[in-house]
Order: sequence, then C-alpha cells, then structure tokens
Amino acid sequence: MSANQSTAAAPIDTPEGFAILAEGLGKVYGQGASRVEALKGIDLTVRPGDFLIIMGPSGSGKTTLLTLLGLVNEPTTGRLVLGGREIYGGVPPDLARMRREEMGFIFQAPNLIPFLTARENVLLPLSLAGVRGEEAQNRVSQLLEYFEIAERAAQYPNQLSGGEQQRVAIARALANNPRIILADEPTASLDTDRALAVVRLLRRISRENAAAVLLVTHDHRLLTEVDEVIEMEDGRIASRKKVDPEA
Amino acid sequence: MNLAFRDVRYHGFKFFSSTLGVSLLIMVVVTIGGIIRGVILDSSTLIEKTGAQLWVVQKTGAHPGVGTFGPFVEISRLPESIYHAISVIPGVAEASPIVAAWEHVPQMPPPTRLMKFMYVNALLNTRSMVKPGWMAMPHVQRFIVVGYEPGRIGGPPDIIAGRGIEASHYEIVADNKTGFHVGQRVRLGNFEYRVVGLTRHMVGFTADPVIYMSLRDAQNYLFQTDPNLLRSEQAVARQHARELAATSPRLIPTVTANEEARLANTLYVNAIAVKLRPGANARAIAAHIRRWEHLAVYTDAQEVNMQLMGSNRLILFQLALFRDILVLIAGLVIGIIIYTFTLDKVHEIAILKLLGARGGVVYRMILQEALFMGVVGTLVGSGLELLSEPYFPRRVVATSGDIAQMLIAMSVVAAAASILAVRRAMRIDPRSVLSTG
Ligand SMILES: Nc1ncnc2c1ncn2[C@@H]1O[C@H](COP(=O)(O)OP(=O)(O)O)[C@@H](O)[C@H]1O
Ligand SMILES: [Mg+2]
Repeated sequence: MSANQSTAAAPIDTPEGFAILAEGLGKVYGQGASRVEALKGIDLTVRPGDFLIIMGPSGSGKTTLLTLLGLVNEPTTGRLVLGGREIYGGVPPDLARMRREEMGFIFQAPNLIPFLTARENVLLPLSLAGVRGEEAQNRVSQLLEYFEIAERAAQYPNQLSGGEQQRVAIARALANNPRIILADEPTASLDTDRALAVVRLLRRISRENAAAVLLVTHDHRLLTEVDEVIEMEDGRIASRKKVDPEA
Repeated sequence: MNLAFRDVRYHGFKFFSSTLGVSLLIMVVVTIGGIIRGVILDSSTLIEKTGAQLWVVQKTGAHPGVGTFGPFVEISRLPESIYHAISVIPGVAEASPIVAAWEHVPQMPPPTRLMKFMYVNALLNTRSMVKPGWMAMPHVQRFIVVGYEPGRIGGPPDIIAGRGIEASHYEIVADNKTGFHVGQRVRLGNFEYRVVGLTRHMVGFTADPVIYMSLRDAQNYLFQTDPNLLRSEQAVARQHARELAATSPRLIPTVTANEEARLANTLYVNAIAVKLRPGANARAIAAHIRRWEHLAVYTDAQEVNMQLMGSNRLILFQLALFRDILVLIAGLVIGIIIYTFTLDKVHEIAILKLLGARGGVVYRMILQEALFMGVVGTLVGSGLELLSEPYFPRRVVATSGDIAQMLIAMSVVAAAASILAVRRAMRIDPRSVLSTG
C-alpha cells in the first residue's frame, strides 16, 4: 500500500486515478455452521497499466477477490471504486454494462461459446457492446492475427486445441479494450512456453492500452514477467512486493 | 450477431430432430381437428348443398308438434303431389320432391392397396376383440339413394367427372367414394343404370356415399312392389271386388282398377326440399305448412342438427375429448422439449451474463429459437397432416384457419416455455463459469 502512496502525485491518489480501489473489502459465504469468511478486509489499489500477479494457497480467497472486482459477486463489507465509479455506495451503476464495456475475463477453462466459431467468439463482446460493422470486424481480425489463430477463425471451439481455445478466450477478453483484465489461472492448461507467451502478451497489452491486469496463478515461472506480486493467505493480503527483475 | 441463428446452425441435428418431434405432435393435433370437421361436414354437406331453407317431412300424429325426423335419420313418406301445394305458398321459390333412402348395391369395386392395408391393419388391431365372422369384408356397399326432379334443387352439385343426369331414366351420378367410374353399369333393384357423372364429398352422416337418380327412377327403385307379389295381390283385390256382384255389379271394374292402381302406386317422396325467396319469413311459412298441410317442417339447421347431434353426438363428444387430451399432451411435451432445450444452454447463458450481456440478449436468443421451432414445427406438422388427409378412410379436413390457430397456440406455448426456462436459467450465477471446466 505504502508503495502506491509514496510514488503517486496528489491528483492520481484520488479514487478517479485508480483503475481499482478497494477498501476493507470482505466476503462471507453462507451462514451458521457453513459460514465461511472468504475475504477479511482487503485494501487494494491498482493503477491503469499495472500488472499484478496474485498467488496464495488454495482457498485463500483469490477467486473470490477476482469475482468481487469483476462485479459478478457482491462484497459483504467494504468499498469498491472502479475507474472512479463508486460501485456499492451511491446510485448503483449498470454492472452488466461495466462488465461488457470495461472488463475482460480469462478463466482456467476457455469457456468459449460452443456454437460460435473462433472469430464469432472474439466478436461476441463487441457485438454485446453494440460495436458493429467494419470497425468490429477489423478489431477481431487484428486480434486473431495477433494470437496467430487467424487461419483457425472459422473453426468451432471443439475443433481447436486447448492452447488455441485459450488464445481465442484471451482474444475475446481483450476485444473491447478493457480497462481491467481479470485472469484466474489462465495458463494452468498451457505448457511453459505457451504460458510465458500468454503472460508476455498480456503484459504488452496492459502497457499499450493502460489496462490493469490481475492474474491469479500458482506458476512461479511467470514471476519473471510481472511488476508486482500479491500474496494472499486466509482471506487477507499477506504481502504486496515489487518483483526484482534480477532475481 | 444473431446468436439464435448460430446456435441452430451449430446444433442442426439436435434442433431439427426436436423440431421434427414438435411437428409430429402438431400433426396429430391438427389431424384430430380435421377428423372432427370431417364428421361435421359428413353430417351437413348433403343438407347444405341442397340449398333448401326448409325440409318438409311426414308427421307421425295429429298433434302439431310431432313429426318424423326424415328424410335422413328417420323414415318419412308422403304423397309426391303435396309439393304442388307448397310451391304456391307465397315466399316459396321452389318446392322440390326428394327421395332419400339407405340402400345397398352388390357391387363393390376391387379394394385398393390402401383399402387392403387398412383392412389388415384393422384386423390386427381388433384381433382380440372380435369373434369369427365379425370382421368379414362385406361384398355389398351401402349408399344413400337420392332421387330428385331434374332441374329442381336436390340434385348432384359439383360434378367432378362426366355430366349430370339428362335422360329421365337409367342414369345415375355417383359419389366417387363408391369407387364407380363414369360409364360403369350398376344394377339396382330391377333395373340397370349407367354412371354418367361423379361427385366428390357427397356422403351422408354415416360416410356412406350418395347415388343420385331421377325422381321417377328412385320411386320405381324404392317403392315398386315386386311384380310377382303385385300379381298375387291384384288377384286378391279382384277377388274382393267380385264380392260386389250381388249388390253393385256395375262398380266391379272401377273398384278393381282403383285397387290395382293403389297397389302399383309409387308416387311417394320422403321429403320436400323448400327453397325460399330472399327475405321470405321462414318461420311463418313453416307454420303455414304445419297447420294447413299437416306435415312436419324443419329448417336446414335443424336437419343438420338431427344428423350431427342426433346421430353423431357421441362420436363427436368422444373426438372432442380425445382432442383435448392430445392438445394437452402435445402442449406439455412441446413445452418440455423447448424447456429442456433452453436449460441445456445454462452454461452458455452464464458465459453471456459474465460477459455483461443484457438480459434481453439472452431472452431474444431463446425466444427466437423457440418461436422458430414452434412455427417450423407447426408448418411442417400441418403440411404432413394435409398430405396425409386423402389417405384416411373418412373425410379429414384441416383448414388454414386451423393452422393459423395452431400457429398462435404454438407461439404462446413456445414463448411461455422458453420464458419460464430462461427465467430459471438466468438464475445461474455467472461465477459458475469460473469453476467449471
Ligand atoms: N460460492 C461459495 N460458497 C461458499 N463458499 C465459497 C464459495 N466460493 C468460495 N468459497 C469458500 O471461500 C474460500 C475462498 O475460496 P476461493 O476464493 O475460491 O479461493 P481460491 O481461489 O484462493 O482457492 C474457500 O474456503 C471456499 O471454500
Ligand atoms: Mg480459485
């Protein structure tokens, strides 16, 4: 936390300056005997262009944190500000709209729509956001080229290899130029080379588009590619460290 | 990007097999409706096509309220000459003497392959229900003979082959259900007739086909006494007349002639069909005929009612109930098909929600698919029904109105089922996508 405060100039420290600002974010699942406190007061700030890796043992709350930030899960306590917009405080914003216009999701499984071709899967977020015509088609072509799946564009997901599917999924997550990219173990099904390639790609996109990327992984090999690592433990952020590129 | 179209394109086999299932259910529902309309048409066509507003038949007593239900569901017999008196009642355009009776002819055209199939099929279906001999195929066929005065109402409408009756004797027009063909010779009673024309759909409420002939031919055919019987009866009459020898010998020739003429008289009809002038008061004319001519009178609606409700009531009720059951089952099964079809897509729906799709996007996709399934199912099912209609033994008639009604009903079922399903599917937590592989 202190790292952010010490390096930031005053105007950037207002909530508007952060891609993500969370204060005391908590999440309790269930009640009574089955009550689980998955998150216990998370404080987190992420700037546009930041690339963070989240690590931690299974059950430490990583996925829960991503779902809260991704607006598909409501916190029990705390404050959340995304791109300067108060999510749960005042007038509730259109969460679905924020998801389709400002966020990209990447999951462990590609979760492509099976009845859409690779190309149509990438087009989907644009279509949902109302981007049509040549603009949308150009954007999709660009992404397909970028991920080297252009010649597989007409195939359905079940005709693609696991790696190809995951690249389509990433292309889909990036289609709308999201301000925030949330990735939950996206490289688990990829070999080392592919995994590294994906992370480098996300890294590049985050720099080029000033997108904030939060990537959950267990894979220590990926640490060489990122700026910062958040360690989670038992629903809390145990540490947030800059990665020493020399290490 | 139309998601429904892409889903259908991708799941082609699944979608079209489900749609085929929907089509077949709709075909059954449309068919039972067509069977019901067939019964109604069989019970009404003969009356409707005659174009008479009133039917005059025999009374069964002195009381003005009693009469036979002639000519089609009860025997009615009246002197032919009465029609002259009715013709001159103000408001009557035409009074036509009609002979109508159920008869049989020992001429059964060789069964078609379809008929053979239906017979074998019936045998298989009834083998545990009948005793030997019950299912023997008859060698005679029943028909309704309708005699009319050529040029007056009551003759064959809509001749589909050959021509109408032109000669005053020995020509008949048969319905094509008899299996007769133009030019065929048919022996009825003492005489041989030639089929000069064919009609279509002219059957009675029992589905027996109509054979039209001239009034004179029909009277001879139906009312003529067997010549041998006539001879012996006339001998008896002469014997009785000779009893006058002692008292009034000069009356013997007159009495004998009268008796012989009475025995030979065939100038009866079963009904008089009355066509009214436009604007004529049917009730007043009917009342007049009842009062002054001592006859029973029915409107055309009452005549149809006698056949439809009097004779075909129970089969109609039975079919209507059966139709309810089919509609219910078809609606439920189609609803379930669409419902499960939709719920199969919860995972895709969850992904769409996660990607921030508006609810409307999901509803539109599912509704479009369900309506497409409902509409295509209805059109295909109705098409199959229309194609199968001619192969039914009795008349089956579905109309474009039936199909339109079906389209509306199916759209409602499809929309309801898919909305219920989407409402349930939309409850899926988009987070489920995060954990599923
Ligand atoms: N939907 C849920 N209902 C109840 N408990 C949950 C739910 N999701 C996660 N949990 C619990 O919350 C804790 C954190 O889970 P999770 O966020 O998935 O951790 P991680 O992704 O780090 O493995 C775990 O104890 C888990 O069992
Ligand atoms: Mg997890």
